[in-house]
Amino acid sequence: MAREHTAVCSTDRDRFYDRYVDVRRELVIAASADEVWSVVAAPERQAEWFPGMVSSVLEETGEGTFRTIQTASGGFIREEVLGVDHGARRFEYRIVGPFRMEHHLGRITVVPDPCGSLVIYEQELEPKALTYVLDGAVADALDGLRDLVVNGRTSRSWIEPMTATGREEGP
Amino acid sequence: MASRILFVTTDQQRFDALGCNGGRVAATPVVDGLAASGVRYERAHPQNVVCMPSRATMLTGQHIRNHGVWMNGVPLPADAPTVAGLLNDAGWRTGLFGKAHFEPFLDPFLRFPQNRMGVTGATNEEGRPHRGFECMEFAGHGSGGLVHYGGWMREHYPEHMASFYPPLDGTLDVNADGGGDTGAPQVLRNSVPRGIYHTDWVADRAIAWLEGLSDDDDWFCWLSFPDPHHPWDPPDSELHRVPWRDLNLPDGYPSDRAEREAALDTKGAHWRRWYDGDLVTNFEAPARWVPATLTADQVREVDAMAHIENELIDEALGRLLFTVSNRGWHDDLHVIFTTDHGEFQGDHGLLFKGPFHVDSLMRLPLVWRPAPSAGVAPSVVADPVGLVDLAPTFCLIAGIEVPDWMDGAPLPVTPEESASRQRPAVLTEWDSVHPGGSEVHLQTVTLDGMVCTRYEAGTCHEGVEGEMWDLADDPLQRTNLWDDPGRRTLRDDLVAELDALLPERPAHPLRTEAPV
Repeated sequence: MAREHTAVCSTDRDRFYDRYVDVRRELVIAASADEVWSVVAAPERQAEWFPGMVSSVLEETGEGTFRTIQTASGGFIREEVLGVDHGARRFEYRIVGPFRMEHHLGRITVVPDPCGSLVIYEQELEPKALTYVLDGAVADALDGLRDLVVNGRTSRSWIEPMTATGREEGP
Repeated sequence: MASRILFVTTDQQRFDALGCNGGRVAATPVVDGLAASGVRYERAHPQNVVCMPSRATMLTGQHIRNHGVWMNGVPLPADAPTVAGLLNDAGWRTGLFGKAHFEPFLDPFLRFPQNRMGVTGATNEEGRPHRGFECMEFAGHGSGGLVHYGGWMREHYPEHMASFYPPLDGTLDVNADGGGDTGAPQVLRNSVPRGIYHTDWVADRAIAWLEGLSDDDDWFCWLSFPDPHHPWDPPDSELHRVPWRDLNLPDGYPSDRAEREAALDTKGAHWRRWYDGDLVTNFEAPARWVPATLTADQVREVDAMAHIENELIDEALGRLLFTVSNRGWHDDLHVIFTTDHGEFQGDHGLLFKGPFHVDSLMRLPLVWRPAPSAGVAPSVVADPVGLVDLAPTFCLIAGIEVPDWMDGAPLPVTPEESASRQRPAVLTEWDSVHPGGSEVHLQTVTLDGMVCTRYEAGTCHEGVEGEMWDLADDPLQRTNLWDDPGRRTLRDDLVAELDALLPERPAHPLRTEAPV
């Protein structure tokens, strides 16, 4: 039996309330690290397990790999995929728009754990206005990742690509 | 006989905004009339001076530490008991129109039910009441946001979506851009026609809901205007009402810079540090705006905008009351009018709000016009009361026993009844922990004509500082008596009263889920 949700936040947990500068959440999932990593390593699949994401579309440009996230509120977030390190089981990305951020780094790491795997989702950001928003969303996302990997349940907002685009299946 | 409650709230409105409270600029004949035939409270205080905690107190009748919403961005738990739920369970029809803010606004992933309702246009949670309300239609501060008003504007008036001031900037922080004639922050000339401005939309939606009720329904209608909270962008067509150049500076604005700064220095360190642009405690005021740059003309222009917005609210309320009267509901209708917290609007040389427990932010308009059929004589209550007392008052009106989980008590309707209350002291708290690094904690008791605030240790205070104001001798709160040796016994007594009133801090404080 996997340990229950162990989402923690804060580099400074003993302070009053939830003080932190960056976002860090963890969750132990009752599935092997390879199983979990196979989902995390596919950035185009993030909307399947991130509640509130409708779609996640990858695009290769001359400047790198970019991803456009459609959110359930009707907006979008543009991100650059910085790296998919299969050896370290680490996925890194940064938000590049539409809002301006002086600094952003998102990192998802999957490591083996006696109960399955430990997933660590971290974000660094400046300015701080999105700190709380991302923290709450990341907590939901880890639950969503567990639901997808362990139970096969996709996130509540995800729209399958065929439905989302209205494209017909090719011959 | 049926009962009806019209609960009217504004957002960030000062006590002196109303004519009945001595306001000399905005014409507010509707609320003034309610006060003349009802009970006017001269010292109503919020339990917190920002929106979400204060609104959670209004809805639950609980102190901050008991409902747990200690700052904006902390959602009221989904299972929190509410007075609307009590009334709905008792067979009352329940509706809320306008600004709710029981859950965070900034929510790109639609994590919160109210934002999902706003985006989809749903007026409840799949047929079930939300927080006790069977019908909710939301508006916020502008044309955007995840609210019903935003959807309505996008559908019917897309050409005016950009007419409003954008509350957030490109970094999603509170916008510091200036506008109007003076460059005042959060001021904008708004070309939106008056008839589609959110103040009238809120009244329109409430009227539509009321028109659908049966004549003999008991109902509770929360009419929640988003104004005069910033941004200050009323319709251009209404600016003629209060030309800003004609306004006197408010009494609370020290126009001499040296005097202003000397007065700030008598208060806690966080006052001057914010004024100088050296401190950000929360996401309510623009972080990139420095209060020391505020000019006298900017104060006048912001004041004028707020007064105009207050007049529009009064007129919209009058229109709704006319509808209610035409339905034959007047004699059984209780009307309670208040706001969630105040606004500096130039007092102390400041704008907006924050960890500052003075009258600008704490002394609120509160009027209860009891149902004429109740035969309550007009009165003025001078003793302190709290917004925590509203929900128990609604219970009293509805004939429902005030539940144990409510902390407040029904509002008194006479000075004599007020004098006999068990707990005349009123509590106000502030806790902020900003991800930028600041941490401020204030606890305030208002009692016997004094306001006494203790600072807990944080990044600005060592935990031994505080404020104590004599409301009669020092209405502008310029002379801090906290360190006055001659008042030490009084201070100790007030702090003891504060400790007796403060609930325990929750063992597991609720998390902040968004900046606002």
